[in-house]
Amino acid sequence: MKLINRKNFISIVCISFTLVVCGKLILEGLMGFTDKNYTMNIFAILGFSIIITAVLALHFYLQKFPLIPVLIGQYLGVVGLTVAFVKITDFIADTETNAMIQMIASVTIPFIISAIVYYIAFFRQVNKANDILSEITSENK
Amino acid sequence: MRFIKTKEKGLSENYLELHYDKLDDETKEYISRLDNTLSNIEGTLDDRRISLSVTDVMYFESVDRKTFAYTEKVCVEMRDTLKNLLDNYSEMGFIRISKSSIVNVYKIDHLQGDLNMRVIIFLKNGEKLIMNRGYKKDFFAELEKIRGKNKK
Repeated sequence: MKLINRKNFISIVCISFTLVVCGKLILEGLMGFTDKNYTMNIFAILGFSIIITAVLALHFYLQKFPLIPVLIGQYLGVVGLTVAFVKITDFIADTETNAMIQMIASVTIPFIISAIVYYIAFFRQVNKANDILSEITSENK
Repeated sequence: MRFIKTKEKGLSENYLELHYDKLDDETKEYISRLDNTLSNIEGTLDDRRISLSVTDVMYFESVDRKTFAYTEKVCVEMRDTLKNLLDNYSEMGFIRISKSSIVNVYKIDHLQGDLNMRVIIFLKNGEKLIMNRGYKKDFFAELEKIRGKNKK
């Protein structure tokens, strides 16, 4: 089943964008941090929401391939697009000297966390299925 | 409804006998379940037509456009397609696990996940089947459904 399709693509991008921006504002409010590049960062978040949603939308088409190469390929794709995004932004406006590293870290950390959560959920699902199987089998003995 | 088991020596084949005055809903339900359980399928083995109980089938597999039913001892070529088999026998615990296989849930020993997030299905006869990631969600949903049905 396709979780992300043409119909819900934009709404998923909008939801992710809103959540990340809200998170950013709450965090900044708590830390008392003032973002000097507020406008640029807002557009960067929008860009990343689009890139990451697009990459996740590929998941359905990649189900027949082994997961690890798929994850590595998706990660490299996201990092490649991030590098391109930062390079293009560099032409349009001034960016910080370590903008590239910060952006790659911003992509890598959520990617690793998501992968870990995904694996944990998967193995828990298998354990639950084993419990159901033993229940079904014992009922039919 | 009462269920009476009687041990009789010297029987050539076990049999079930149902005594009723009127067929109420409960009895009809039991009959329908028994009909499913006792239904047989026909296939070819070494150019001979043979009949086997659906409940003995561990899994169905499609290879080179041919469909095979695997029991613990034999592999029988079927005339039906996987889709038809699934339509007919999904109520008896058959679930699709890949484009080319359908497994009998009651013949599964246990499941194991691998790093590529495929599920390895260990059957009771020691055979292993691989469930693709694409079929995982439907498989787990079907398992829940079977559990719910069995609890009724």
